[in-house]
Amino acid sequence: MMKVVALAGNPNVGKTTIFNNLTGMRQHVGNWPGVTVEKKEGILEYKGEKFLVVDLPGTYSLTAHSVDELVARNFLLKGSANVVVDVVDATVLMRNLFLTMEIFEMGLKNIIIALNKIDLTEKKGIEIDVRKMESVLGVPVVPLNAKEGIGIEELKKRIYEVANRKIGTTPIMPKYDPAVEREIEHISRALKRTELAEKYNLRWLAIKLLMRDEEVIKLVLRYLGSEKLNEIMGHIGEVEEKYKRAMDLIIASQKYEFIDSLMHRFVRYKHEQGETFSDQLDRILTHPIYGILVLLGVFYFVFKFVFLFGMPLQGMLDEAFSSFGQWLAPHILNESLRGLVVDGIIAGVGAVLSFFPLVFLLFLAMAILEDVGYMARAAVVMEKIMRKFGLPGKSFIPLVLAFGCNVPAVMATRTLDEEKDRIVTMLVNPLIPCSARLSVISFLAGAFFKKNQAFVAVSIYIISIFLALLMACFFSRFLVKGESSPFIIELPEYLVPSWKTVILHSWERSKEFVKKAGTIILAGSIVIWYLSNYPVPIGTGLSYSEKLGMFFEPYMKLMGLDWKAAVSLLFGIIAKENVISTYGIIYGSESAIVNAMTPLQAYVLALVTTLYIPCIATIGAIRAESNSKWALVVVTYMIGLASFVGIVAYHLGLVLGF
Amino acid sequence: MDMIVPLNALKPGEKGIVVNILGGAGARQRLVAMGLTPGATIQVIKSYPFGPIILSVSGTRFAIGRGLASKVMVRKL
Repeated sequence: MMKVVALAGNPNVGKTTIFNNLTGMRQHVGNWPGVTVEKKEGILEYKGEKFLVVDLPGTYSLTAHSVDELVARNFLLKGSANVVVDVVDATVLMRNLFLTMEIFEMGLKNIIIALNKIDLTEKKGIEIDVRKMESVLGVPVVPLNAKEGIGIEELKKRIYEVANRKIGTTPIMPKYDPAVEREIEHISRALKRTELAEKYNLRWLAIKLLMRDEEVIKLVLRYLGSEKLNEIMGHIGEVEEKYKRAMDLIIASQKYEFIDSLMHRFVRYKHEQGETFSDQLDRILTHPIYGILVLLGVFYFVFKFVFLFGMPLQGMLDEAFSSFGQWLAPHILNESLRGLVVDGIIAGVGAVLSFFPLVFLLFLAMAILEDVGYMARAAVVMEKIMRKFGLPGKSFIPLVLAFGCNVPAVMATRTLDEEKDRIVTMLVNPLIPCSARLSVISFLAGAFFKKNQAFVAVSIYIISIFLALLMACFFSRFLVKGESSPFIIELPEYLVPSWKTVILHSWERSKEFVKKAGTIILAGSIVIWYLSNYPVPIGTGLSYSEKLGMFFEPYMKLMGLDWKAAVSLLFGIIAKENVISTYGIIYGSESAIVNAMTPLQAYVLALVTTLYIPCIATIGAIRAESNSKWALVVVTYMIGLASFVGIVAYHLGLVLGF
Repeated sequence: MDMIVPLNALKPGEKGIVVNILGGAGARQRLVAMGLTPGATIQVIKSYPFGPIILSVSGTRFAIGRGLASKVMVRKL
C-alpha cells in the first residue's frame, strides 16, 4: 500500500503550487465522494518509494460549518494520512498557525510544516528563526519558495523521513485558562469510559464539544446520553457567564494568545508595513463603481482573448474530424458500421475535442486571474448585486463564464466557498445563453427579424438572464438547504502568476472535462445517430427521431411549434447549434426555414432553445460536480420553465397580433 | 470606560481591538479563523459608504460586509 501524504492549509498559501511541485504531471482531479468539493491526488516518488499526495480543500479552520472544512477534517480524523504537510504562509504566520494548532489538537503525530513564501518575509520586516520554530512547535519546519521550486527537495526528503519514522514529531498542544482546562478535563473524563476513546483524541472531542460543534454534539449524545450532555452544556454556560462571551470565542482567543506566546520565541517583526502597492490598486479595483467598470473591462478582454484564439482552433479541429471521417468512410464497407463510426463516433469525439481549446482557454484566463489575486476583488465588487439574488459575489464568475460555455462555467462553481452557493449557481447556470445558443439566436433573429435583429436577440438574453436570477432567488430560498457564506473575503496581495501552476491547472481541468463530458457526449452522439438513421434515414418522415417528434407534436402545438421543432430540439441536446442544422436536414436547406415559420414561431423557438434542457455536456458536468439528483433537477425544471415561457410567449404574441 | 463600537463605525485609518463578536456561530467562527478574534488589532483601510469595509488584520487585507462588520465589537484605539 502506498503511504498517503495530505496537504492541508489556508486558502492563498500556495498549496496548489507545492502540490504541483511534489507530483508533477502525475495527478488526478476529481470530486470528494458525495460533495461538490474538488479532490486532487497525485503521485510523489522519492528514493524509489511512491507516495499518494492528497490535496485537502484550503480552509481557515476545521469546524463543521462548511463542507470543505468537514471534508478536510474527516480525512484527517480518520487517520487516512501517514504524513500531514501543513502549508503555512510565512508572511501571515499568526492566522496560519491557528489551523496548525487545530491539526495538532486532533492528536495527529506525523506533521511537517511547509513554511511557504519565505522569500517575501524580508521585505515585510519579518525574521523567522526556523530552527527555533521547529523546537518550539515540535515538528519539522521546511522553509520554501514554492513558486521558484526552492525547498521542494528538502520537503520531499522530510516527507520520506517522517513517513518512514526516521524522525519523530511531538506537536505542542495549545493550553487554555484554568477555567477552560477544567471543562476539557471534565469532558475528557466522561468520554474516557466510552468507545469514543478508541476512535478519537479525547482532548480534541472535548474542545470541539465546548465550541458546540454540531457533529461532535451528535456523537457525544449517542455515547453519553442527553442527561450528561445537558450537564456539560450547563457548565459551559457558567464559563461563558464569567467571560461574558461565547465559548468558541473564548477558546479561539486563548488559542491566539497561546500562538502569540509561541511566536515571540521564534519571530521578530522589524518594522510595520505602511500602505502597499496592493492597497493602492485596491482603491480602484474594490471601489463600488470603478471596480465594476474594471470588472466589465476585464471580462470583455477575457472573452475577446478566448474567442480570438479559441474559435479558429475549434473550427480547425471540427474541420479535421470531418475530413478524417470523409477520408475513412470509403474504407468501411459495411454500411451501418460506416454510419456508426463516421456519423456517430468520429462526429461525437470531434464534438468533444472541438470544445477543448475553448474550455482550456477559459480555464487558463480564470486561473491567471485567480493567481494574480484579481478574483477576490471581482467577488467583492459583485457581492452587493449578487446578494440580492441570494448568491455571493463570487458566483458572478461562473455565471459570466456561461456566456462562453456552460461546461467550464459549471466546473468553476468549485471556487465558491459554500456547498449551497455552489449548487444554486450550478442549477441556474444553464439558463445563461452560451456561445452555441448565441448562434441559434442570431440565426433566427437574422432570418425572421431583418429590421429588429439586435433588439430581438438582446430581448432573449434579457429574458434568460432575468430568469436565471429569478430562479437563483427561488432555489436559494426554497430548494437548496445550507448556510450561505458570510461576506468576508481575504484580499491576497497581487502577485505575478506562477505560469507553471496556471498552465498545469488549466490543463488538468480541461482534461477532466474531456474525460467526464466526453463519454456522455459520445454516448449521446451514437444514440442520436441511431435515432436519425433507423429504420430509414431522417428526412423521409419515417425515422425514429421523426416519429418521436410527431409523438410530441400535440405538446409542441401549445407553443405554436410542430414536430420538426421537437426533432430539432431533441438534436439540440447534443449541442445547441444542432437545432438549426437539423431543420436544415428536414427541409433540405437552412434558408427554407424562413418560409416554414412565422416570426412569432421563430421567436418562441429561439426562446425555447435557450431555456430548455441544457446540452448533454453541461448535464454531464453538473452530474460530475454534484450528483445525479441535481442533474435531474436541472433537466426537469428547465423543461418546465421552457414550456411555460414558450406557451406564455406564444399566446401573448398572438394576443398582441404578431 | 473605553469606547466600544461596532467595527463599521470606525473610519479609514482608525484602529481598534476586537472585544467580542455577536451573531450566529457559523459567521463567528469563520471570522475567528480568519484572525478576527477577541484581542486582535484591526485597522480600517477603506470604508465605502454603501459598500464593504477593507480591513487590515495582522498584515492581511480583508473585505467585510457592513452587516457582518456591525457584529464585530471593537475597542477604539
